[in-house]
Amino acid sequence: MRLRHRSTLTVVSLLALVATACGGGGGEDVDLGDSADPGAEDGADGGSDAEGGTLVAAIGGEPDQLDPHVTTSGFTFRVMENVYDTLVQPNDELEMEPALATEWETSDDLLTWTFQLREGVTFHDGSEFDAEDVVASLERIAEEGQNSFRLEAVEDFEASGDLEVTMTLSRPAPNLLAQLGAFKGMAIVSADDIESGDLNESPNGTGPFAFEGQSGGDSITLTANDDYWGEEGPHLDGIEFRIIPEETVKLTNLETGEVDWIDTVPPQNVAGLSGGDLTVESVPSNDYWYAAFNIEREPFDDPEVRRAIRQAVDIDAITEAARFDAATPNQTAIPESSVWYHEYAPFETDVDAAQTALDEAGVSGLSIDLMVTSEFPETITAAEVIASQLDEVGIDVQIRTEDFNTWLADQGEGEFDAFILGWLGNIDPDDFYYAQHHSEGVNNFHGFVDEEVDQLLDDGRQETDEDARKELYDQAAERIVDQVSYLYLYNPDLVQAWSSEVSGYSPRPDQATRFVTTRLG
Amino acid sequence: MTGFVLRRIGQALIALFGVSVVVFALVHLVPGDPIRAALGTRFDPEIYQVLLERSGLDQPLGVQFFDWLGRALTGDLGVSFRSGRAVTTELGDRLPATLLLAGGSLLVGLIIAIPAGIISAVRQGKPVDYAASTFAQVGVSVPDFWFGILLILLFSRTLGWLPPGGYVSLTEDPVEALQRLLLPAVTAGVVTGSILTRFVRSSVLEAMQADHVRLARAKGMPERYVLRHHVLRNAWIPVVTITGLQLATLLGGIVVVEVVFSWPGIGRLALDAVYGRDYPVLQGSVLVIAAGFLLINLLVDLLYGRLDPRIRS
Repeated sequence: MRLRHRSTLTVVSLLALVATACGGGGGEDVDLGDSADPGAEDGADGGSDAEGGTLVAAIGGEPDQLDPHVTTSGFTFRVMENVYDTLVQPNDELEMEPALATEWETSDDLLTWTFQLREGVTFHDGSEFDAEDVVASLERIAEEGQNSFRLEAVEDFEASGDLEVTMTLSRPAPNLLAQLGAFKGMAIVSADDIESGDLNESPNGTGPFAFEGQSGGDSITLTANDDYWGEEGPHLDGIEFRIIPEETVKLTNLETGEVDWIDTVPPQNVAGLSGGDLTVESVPSNDYWYAAFNIEREPFDDPEVRRAIRQAVDIDAITEAARFDAATPNQTAIPESSVWYHEYAPFETDVDAAQTALDEAGVSGLSIDLMVTSEFPETITAAEVIASQLDEVGIDVQIRTEDFNTWLADQGEGEFDAFILGWLGNIDPDDFYYAQHHSEGVNNFHGFVDEEVDQLLDDGRQETDEDARKELYDQAAERIVDQVSYLYLYNPDLVQAWSSEVSGYSPRPDQATRFVTTRLG
Repeated sequence: MTGFVLRRIGQALIALFGVSVVVFALVHLVPGDPIRAALGTRFDPEIYQVLLERSGLDQPLGVQFFDWLGRALTGDLGVSFRSGRAVTTELGDRLPATLLLAGGSLLVGLIIAIPAGIISAVRQGKPVDYAASTFAQVGVSVPDFWFGILLILLFSRTLGWLPPGGYVSLTEDPVEALQRLLLPAVTAGVVTGSILTRFVRSSVLEAMQADHVRLARAKGMPERYVLRHHVLRNAWIPVVTITGLQLATLLGGIVVVEVVFSWPGIGRLALDAVYGRDYPVLQGSVLVIAAGFLLINLLVDLLYGRLDPRIRS
């Protein structure tokens, strides 16, 4: 996801996992089984057993667009997570489970996927959900907007029955399920709403809560969907999302009982909050933060110089300063909690060796323009620590703090020696590496070019055997780390807090805020 | 009188046009644009180009400006890039909260400034004068961000007397609306009050030196009578001017207070628009704030006429 957190968190990225389904060579039924099917027992009537209460949830900024296919704001998705469904969705382990699709199968050549859709599902406006809605939604995503890349392997969507959708692929795509269920940016909306253009003003989904109204700059309210298809929930009568931009004030709102739940707790406040009437929970997230050097500029084009810089910094100290204890230092991108994790930590901090390597590379009196953004204050803290560490080897770091838009523009124009930022919400390894490190990658702003990495990432997109696929990404990760394409820093924890009245909620590593099973009192 | 008003309205329209040109030029000079802002780090040059063309942002700036101006003249301020909603809707949503907070803050400011300013003028050089001057100095210097948080921590967190921010409209629940208004109005009002206190004081002092006041005193009129009928009537005029300016400032300039108290006002809307490079919302916000500013100035001028008949001619 992009990181626009405050105002815009970028987009959540995706998921992976999928590959098992096609792993055995096609043709097999990949229904995950009734036990995994939330609607299996009482089907379409499984719906709501709302027993009361409106949860007041504080979010740190204002959603922009409410149209899930258009927005990139993390705040919008905190709300829309509860309004919309996708064909499949990540479970607690971030493995894809049935949602609006109940089962699916692939052809022998892995190029045709057929999805069976859930029966008896209705949108919040009462209209019936069917295959036309799925085709219209996915075609809209594929044609416009920032999520089209997720469906890049799909050539055609077809409603092959009232409740059956067939997708034709141009190449095998082991992570197709992960893309379809990545986050609510892949939401299935009603074909009629696409036609009428009402999606932004009046969101209309199939999820556990229905959009009721918004008051600009102040709040968004949802009410329970009594016809929800899931086996459990919603238990609440409704949710009121309140926009509270200032962190201290957000905490005070929770402490005084004005709100029941807050979307983030700043790392420095975690210790002070624990122990009272409040519940504070954290989960290692799939996000990662990193520094990147402009490889199109000297001397950063020399991998030896980048390695020397890497040796001169101590990511443990950076993590401690930027996140207190609420993060795990990592020399690669993928966190230990992910099935795609690959343990690889070749670097030890060694100032003398770094100095020697810099001398050998003929680098002296180097000054680095390091660009960070006030949008994410932890990048500023991290930059300050890096500056003091690189000072030890005679590198003068000039920290340049920009507002996020200026930052993005400068990044796009290559106007930097180095920058610090993070990527949020990734699940599939392709999300972690391709756009950032492939020479053709759209987010390869620092200009990294490496044939070996290109080949590994291209192969990873097509390899359908999960073990073989992981091996490819492990190799890619090692090469990326060795070449210091990114200087990886840490995986942050997601920390959230709520009052003792709230039960049935847990933070998730993909940051999705689901209140379907939440209760009050 | 009618001619005076028409002339002032004509001047106001020219000023609004000037403001629009300057704001338009400024926002386009800042790096970044709304499309880039929306795409964030998931920037893809191809998608960027498509969206840029669809939004009309690839047109020459002059074309964009006159396109905007033409629609603005018909009351259409365009559509927000961020929210996809009409700018007039966005502004309409926020206007009541903005007016309530500005009015509340000004009221707090006047409640502080009028007594404090008059007393310190009358008791010039006495301890009470020094106390009021010190208050005014501190009030202007204290950062409102810090002061607002301090009030929340004290009155909400520790004492539990008042809610920690948030907005409820007057029509929905007047009592709760005023409870929620109190802390932000005090935060912004203390600054306003401090500025006004100094003006009230110097204005009253000046009026007290006037010949007719000295004459009244010499005739043996009671001090209270002199103050009310001879000093204050003349002291009001500069105070009204500065009060008008302060109100105009409060309408557009209390972004920090709005952020601290989760107050859905126009200031925060404009701030988010700056960060998101949401040109239509920013231009619309500035236009409304500028129009409010000019309107208040016009009203102040008209009020002069009532306070001092000499100005009318």
